[in-house]
Amino acid sequence: MSHYQVYLIIFLPIMGALINGLMGYSFSKRSITAIALGSVGIPLLLSLGIAYDMLFLSAERKVMTDTLYRWLSEQTYHIDIGVLLDPLALVMVLVVLVIGFVIHCYSVRYMKGDPGFRRFFVYLNLFVFFMLILVAADNLVLLFVGWEGVGLCSYLLIGFWYDKKAAADAGRKAFIVNRIGDCGFILGIMLTILTFHTVNFSELKTILMNDHAVSTTTLSLISFLLFMGAMGKSAQFPLHVWLPDAMEGPTPVSALIHAATMVNAGVYFMCRIFPVLEQAVHVLPFIAAIGLVTAIYAALSALGQRDIKKVLAYSTISQIGFMFMAIGSGIYAASVFHLVTHGFFKGLLFLGAGAVMHALEGELDIHRMGGLAARLPMVTATFFLGILALAGIFPLSGFFSKDAILWGAFERYGVFYWGMGLSAALITVLYCGKLFGVAFLGDTRFNGRIRKPDSLMTIPLVVLACFALLLGGLGLPMFSEHTIFAQFVEPSFFMPGAETGVPSAHSRVLEMIMTACVLVGIIVTFGIALRYFTRYKDTMMDRAVTHTTVSHLLLTGFGMDKLYHVMWVRPFQRIAHLCDTLIDRLLIDGGVNGTAKLAAEIGYFFASLQAGYVRYYAVSIVFGIFVFVGVTFVVMP
Amino acid sequence: MGIDHFIGLGIILFSIGVIGFLIRSNVIVLLLSVELMLNAVNFLFVVFSRFVHGGSTGQIYVFIIMTVAAAEVAVGLAIIVNLYRRFRTLDVSRVNLLKG
Repeated sequence: MSHYQVYLIIFLPIMGALINGLMGYSFSKRSITAIALGSVGIPLLLSLGIAYDMLFLSAERKVMTDTLYRWLSEQTYHIDIGVLLDPLALVMVLVVLVIGFVIHCYSVRYMKGDPGFRRFFVYLNLFVFFMLILVAADNLVLLFVGWEGVGLCSYLLIGFWYDKKAAADAGRKAFIVNRIGDCGFILGIMLTILTFHTVNFSELKTILMNDHAVSTTTLSLISFLLFMGAMGKSAQFPLHVWLPDAMEGPTPVSALIHAATMVNAGVYFMCRIFPVLEQAVHVLPFIAAIGLVTAIYAALSALGQRDIKKVLAYSTISQIGFMFMAIGSGIYAASVFHLVTHGFFKGLLFLGAGAVMHALEGELDIHRMGGLAARLPMVTATFFLGILALAGIFPLSGFFSKDAILWGAFERYGVFYWGMGLSAALITVLYCGKLFGVAFLGDTRFNGRIRKPDSLMTIPLVVLACFALLLGGLGLPMFSEHTIFAQFVEPSFFMPGAETGVPSAHSRVLEMIMTACVLVGIIVTFGIALRYFTRYKDTMMDRAVTHTTVSHLLLTGFGMDKLYHVMWVRPFQRIAHLCDTLIDRLLIDGGVNGTAKLAAEIGYFFASLQAGYVRYYAVSIVFGIFVFVGVTFVVMP
Repeated sequence: MGIDHFIGLGIILFSIGVIGFLIRSNVIVLLLSVELMLNAVNFLFVVFSRFVHGGSTGQIYVFIIMTVAAAEVAVGLAIIVNLYRRFRTLDVSRVNLLKG
């Protein structure tokens, strides 16, 4: 594989964005589509070629680095613009490009009638470019450039329909919440530079593999700060509030950015800096705890949502929580594997939701759907596959990845942590059952009119459904450290110092028994949930949703938005109000207006001398003569 | 009769003019007062020309001033006529539109 291919992969999407963005005003929709799809499709083919090549290379040669040029250099460190393409990065590139391409195709149909058609594809291509920068960057700073770039595109695309206030607000919210995380990210980068005098991933790894004099506290602090960035971007517990609101954007955007790629950037980033994490002993349990809390919290919230996209948004938060559980448990390959499978099946679910919305003319409330299975068979079938994958039912991809995470969590933190993880998985199954049962099965609760999706909409669904169905195969053979996927990404997570404990046959048996139990539990729960929610009647649903505090709590995501409103937004509004009244109006306006008023008052005083009466003028002339004469002849001599 | 008496007469005439200007309100009387002040000054020109300077320059100036005063009175009377047409009064205290 040559370096040119890699650069071509990265820079073609931005070419597409530039051509469409700067010159596309006179293009027809057809040429805009061709440019947008081409600038993602060609890189996809190239990256598939690279992946094919990489399969047959020896482990050392699988890591490809190249420096384009030196960005800035200081006495003690320097920052390059360069790429690091190892199996981990390649996996991400493939996820971005495959899902990206499929969603580009889908968007052509979905955005057909939108006046912002060209703008949409410019943003989407720009997003793919920044995402590729993010995953292929060979150092922290360049990764941060991509990181902020995708954040920008996310903001632009959430607020795509900017004349809708909710959408504009949601875009701002996403941007601001992400800033909190990025603040930690930047501090982390600075601390890394101070500590290691390098930001290059390979060099960091080399330093950390050998003996070094960096204290565990420093490493923990760096990891913690960088993890803060990941929490913001990947919507982990305290910083998750932006993702449900981000659903205001067009559905393909939710699928691509807010489910399959960008929100997973935090997970990828943690995997990139795994040598630091490995030695930061205090942070891994913290990450695991945050992941667990997020997984349970978001799954519960998803259970209470009425909006089909918000169910999926909370589900995404929850699933990323699972990925962070994996990272906290030190099983990076499993985490990336879940990232990949989740990307595909959640992308599929979002596109399915988009197809349903398209069919029902923008209906989002699952309680006003129902009985779609008969009317939209293709969408329902693919959506069902996505749901099965999300729930983690056997032959589908989600089962393999989630099972690996649960087992890894058990090995590292014991049975309590495993039990909590399992409960998160079971709640996931519950809301999966609810979503499918309420929206697709049961009685028809919409007005009966339906717009059939055409092939341009269903083919992407089928493609993603195939991936959701078959990707689990990469997790074979089961009950082994050396699955196909793990072997592929192995060179990225290779640490000579780390001891690889060979699990005994005893634990193998235990793993099999536990997996079987989990699977049975999941299937039973899914069956019960599906049955219960399918029979659930409309009136009962309304009563349950509007009149019980528990439902309300779940619907509002445990009131996190309200809490933040009280904790942050309102104090800031108070301070802003104070600044407005006290500083701006009183001090500044008072000063400026006071000066003007003083001049005016002086003017008014002298103006009043001109009274309009001739006699006054005469008196003042005479008075003036007296003064003049008096001064000249009496005072002066 | 020395210069003092003449200067005194000039001052008296001028003062009558000033006081007339200050206390009367009829515009025509005001104009008369102004003329009186003007003529007091003219008178002093002649006095100073006779007693101090010794030439006839001052007396010649008086004729020039008289000519100018005639023109000035013409303009003044024209203004007064227009004033009366506009305000239907000759009372200056009621003509007070120009003020700050």
